[in-house]
Amino acid sequence: MSNISDLRIAVICSSNMNRSMEAHAFLAKKGFLVQSFGTGDKVKIPGSAADKPNIYDFGISYDEIYHDLLGKDKSLYTQNGLLHTLDRNRRIKTHPERFQETDEKFDILITCEERVYDQVVEYMESKTPVDNSIVHVINIDIQDNLEEATIGAFLISDMCLMLAKAEDLDNDIEEVLHNFEEKCQRPILHSIVFN
Amino acid sequence: MDFTMNEVSDEDLVTQWINSAAVSRSAAEKLEYFHKLQEVLIRKSPHLLPKFLQNMLNFTTDRNGDVKKALVGFIEELCKMRESLLPKVMLNLHMLLCDESIAVQKRVIQALISIYRKTLAWLCKASVITEEMENAWKQLSAIKLEIANMIDSDNDGIRTSSVKFLECVVLLQTYPDQEENKKPNDFSLDDVPLTLKLARRRKLEEEANTLFELLLKFFGSPHISSANLLTCLGVVTNIAKNRTEFMSRVVSAIESLYNNLPPTLTTTQVNSVRKKLKSELAGLIKHPAAYEFVEKLTPMLTDLGYSQQDILKMVPKPDERRKYCKR
Repeated sequence: MSNISDLRIAVICSSNMNRSMEAHAFLAKKGFLVQSFGTGDKVKIPGSAADKPNIYDFGISYDEIYHDLLGKDKSLYTQNGLLHTLDRNRRIKTHPERFQETDEKFDILITCEERVYDQVVEYMESKTPVDNSIVHVINIDIQDNLEEATIGAFLISDMCLMLAKAEDLDNDIEEVLHNFEEKCQRPILHSIVFN
Repeated sequence: MDFTMNEVSDEDLVTQWINSAAVSRSAAEKLEYFHKLQEVLIRKSPHLLPKFLQNMLNFTTDRNGDVKKALVGFIEELCKMRESLLPKVMLNLHMLLCDESIAVQKRVIQALISIYRKTLAWLCKASVITEEMENAWKQLSAIKLEIANMIDSDNDGIRTSSVKFLECVVLLQTYPDQEENKKPNDFSLDDVPLTLKLARRRKLEEEANTLFELLLKFFGSPHISSANLLTCLGVVTNIAKNRTEFMSRVVSAIESLYNNLPPTLTTTQVNSVRKKLKSELAGLIKHPAAYEFVEKLTPMLTDLGYSQQDILKMVPKPDERRKYCKR
């Protein structure tokens, strides 16, 4: 299938598990060139209680997490949807990836919460640019639960379609984001960094 | 024996691809040939470069913007690898900068950020300056002026890239505060030999000052776009942190912006700009050379959400300040 647009897009949340993966799946289906990442130090997902999350190192595969949870409490993790999420994830790619460890270049970095946006901007600004091409960092707040992740993926996809239609993105981005914001009724943040 | 056969085949391949690209009507196909040529000429068999460079540079007049963008990328790689070829590509870079396509122009400005640095450093370490080198520098100087003028372009992306280019020139052509404060790989006026007639320190510094003023003027223009403002804010604070002779003017410019944000910004844009201001101002107040401006920076930081305690923690301690001496 040919791509819908040449834009290289990354969707980034904290653990590269729920919000970024939901959007990754959605955008990939639409034909975008998309990858997903997390900015956290560890991969954190809900556990048997609020104060007992499951924590893994980046590098572990979705499949390994799937089997770990299956062994721990099959009914709990089936009921709260985590096993389903992990199953979906492992069909998209093998393991969660940390944004700060990739060498890939993107035109658009979409973050799912302000803290992640801050980390992405800070990381990009700490690097010495290589080709100085313009990168747009855009934040849309999405709560970290399954339902919100689905809504978030729709919104991100709408936004990407609007961005892809722009003839000259660097020139038109302000207008596109303004229009998108009016449509989605959520506050967004935008910044410019360099590859 | 194998080696020789291999040589012949690479050369033949390059000839064949150049011909195929020249007659190809499909842009995608042409681009594919171009990338193959780049791979062989830059990585696999760079000894073929002198022979085929002109053929590659002929793509300057190609009709397709993507091919021309790829050519700029090729030139950028080439300059990193072999400085001696810099004079051969300047004219083409100038032509590409004047291309009708905005995307090509933008790509050239972005590539020139590293090419400008490379060329200046190359001239500074050369034992003899040839006429060819002199001409290349003259051409590059003309390119630099054109990019400086592009800060007034109608296109937002061109303006953003022009601002980044000017940042690079200002940093290269001014003095760092002190040797100890120098970042690794930080080329500055200190690296320009006094014997270099082609580019005199005093002239380079004067030019950097003029370009810095141009940046500040643009930064303070009342109808600046949010994207340009975000870039410019990052650029002027970066200059202030690395070349503290500019600190005072940067702090004043930010103060003036803070009290008078462009009326054209939407609420979201104001939020994005305030967020950027918050992080850039925090970066500044942590810098020892900004100590004398703490009183100016504090009210802005408080207004942006920092407590007095947070601010006190960020201000460098007396021993850190003592260690830091201005030039």
